[in-house]
Amino acid sequence: MGSTFFRSVAFRRRALGLVVIGGLLAGGGAVPGHAASGSAHDFVQHFGDQLVAIINSKQSSSAKKAALEPLIQQNIDVDSIGRYCLGRYWKVATPDERAQFLQLFHKVMINAVSERMVGDYQGVTFTIGNTISQDGDELVDGVINRPGNPPANVQLEISTQSGSPKVVDLKGEGASLRLTQRGDYASYIAQNGGQVSALIKALQKQVSRND
Amino acid sequence: MRAVTLTKFFPVRPGFARGAVRTATMAAVLASAACGPLTTPKPTDPDALADYREANDKYEPLNRKMYNLNMKVYKYAFRPVGKAYIWAVPSPVRDALGDMVQTMNEPIVFFTDVGAGRPRRAGDAFVRWTVNMTAGVGGLIDVAKMLGYPHHDDDAGLVLATWGVPSGPYLFLPGMGPSSFRDSAGYGIDVGLSPWNYVPRGYGLLTFNWAYNIAGIINGAANSIDAFDQVQRDALDPYAFIRSAYQQQRRAQAEAIKNDHRATTPDWYN
Repeated sequence: MGSTFFRSVAFRRRALGLVVIGGLLAGGGAVPGHAASGSAHDFVQHFGDQLVAIINSKQSSSAKKAALEPLIQQNIDVDSIGRYCLGRYWKVATPDERAQFLQLFHKVMINAVSERMVGDYQGVTFTIGNTISQDGDELVDGVINRPGNPPANVQLEISTQSGSPKVVDLKGEGASLRLTQRGDYASYIAQNGGQVSALIKALQKQVSRND
Repeated sequence: MRAVTLTKFFPVRPGFARGAVRTATMAAVLASAACGPLTTPKPTDPDALADYREANDKYEPLNRKMYNLNMKVYKYAFRPVGKAYIWAVPSPVRDALGDMVQTMNEPIVFFTDVGAGRPRRAGDAFVRWTVNMTAGVGGLIDVAKMLGYPHHDDDAGLVLATWGVPSGPYLFLPGMGPSSFRDSAGYGIDVGLSPWNYVPRGYGLLTFNWAYNIAGIINGAANSIDAFDQVQRDALDPYAFIRSAYQQQRRAQAEAIKNDHRATTPDWYN
């Protein structure tokens, strides 16, 4: 087993870490009125500032998780990401399966963010770069700095389709989180007889491990 | 834990046991060929076909076997060894070893930067090599980074991509991990570009080469233990997650090289 294999998995860790940071960044901009009037840049700047404050605060892990949850719900378009991740299976899922999936997906997202928040990202800072428009969404470049780690380039996709700016995707090291996640889910469903219920069962198991 | 990424963490060391890897690959391919289909049939449903094309994984049954094989070797060999290594070797020593492996790889980065027609990047790689091999005590200290020349990745697979060579189907190779037809051909070119394969093979050098490679691999495995554990915990199908992330990242890396039009003069001169 050579080094490239380890590099690939190392990348995955990085990707997951960036997911966390994206979630963290996305969780901080919950200021009523600000989101509707501010640009995508301001939106990211604002929630980023709030998040860094939470991460570097002296609260307990459970208090941090509790503070994070409403911020995620308000600033990440979890439903939209969830639908995207289910891909072609969204069409074949029953209304009940869709509701169940989205409910679980919210929990998966919150767990993914809060699980690694403590420790891994202590002392984090970030800078925001250029913003460009693409297909009606705004793409905001950023650099995340963690003590003792090389700077990480990320790109957040901000959509206003839900009525206010919300994060709909995160790219870390060139890989889109939602696209990668969709690959994971689509493949799992395909490996399990094309049944959405199999994915729901797996997610239930995953969520219960974290509760 | 030391920062680990696909691009920055652990450079390719094409000198390592090429014959062994090739033999293992061939043996695995032949063994798999004897017990099941090698390719996934092309779906007819348009939505399923779109997924099939996006995954670009014609040889999925074979690739999954290779992936499972890799994971077994990792679980029973590299993970326990890596854990022991982390326990026994202090972090600064592990970091220094990682830096050395990265520096030893700079000649390949230099030559491929030249191949991609990017003199600024090639110059950076050249500075890194010369500074780290001298002031950095054979690469153990990343002095070049402190001077403003951080490491960047390049390899022959990426150069071929910038030349417009298509990736071909996805491959998961034992000992190498995620790849493609183009990237595995690029790996062969990288082997040829590594100067370590052209120095005289004295007993001392052979000993050093093996010690260096084995230490490098254990170091890499140790740095990736958390990552592996996380993959197993968080992904429903880690194979598919890695496949998607790898393919996207290679596209982004090639794009970044294509778009790097920086002047050859250093930043402080401008």
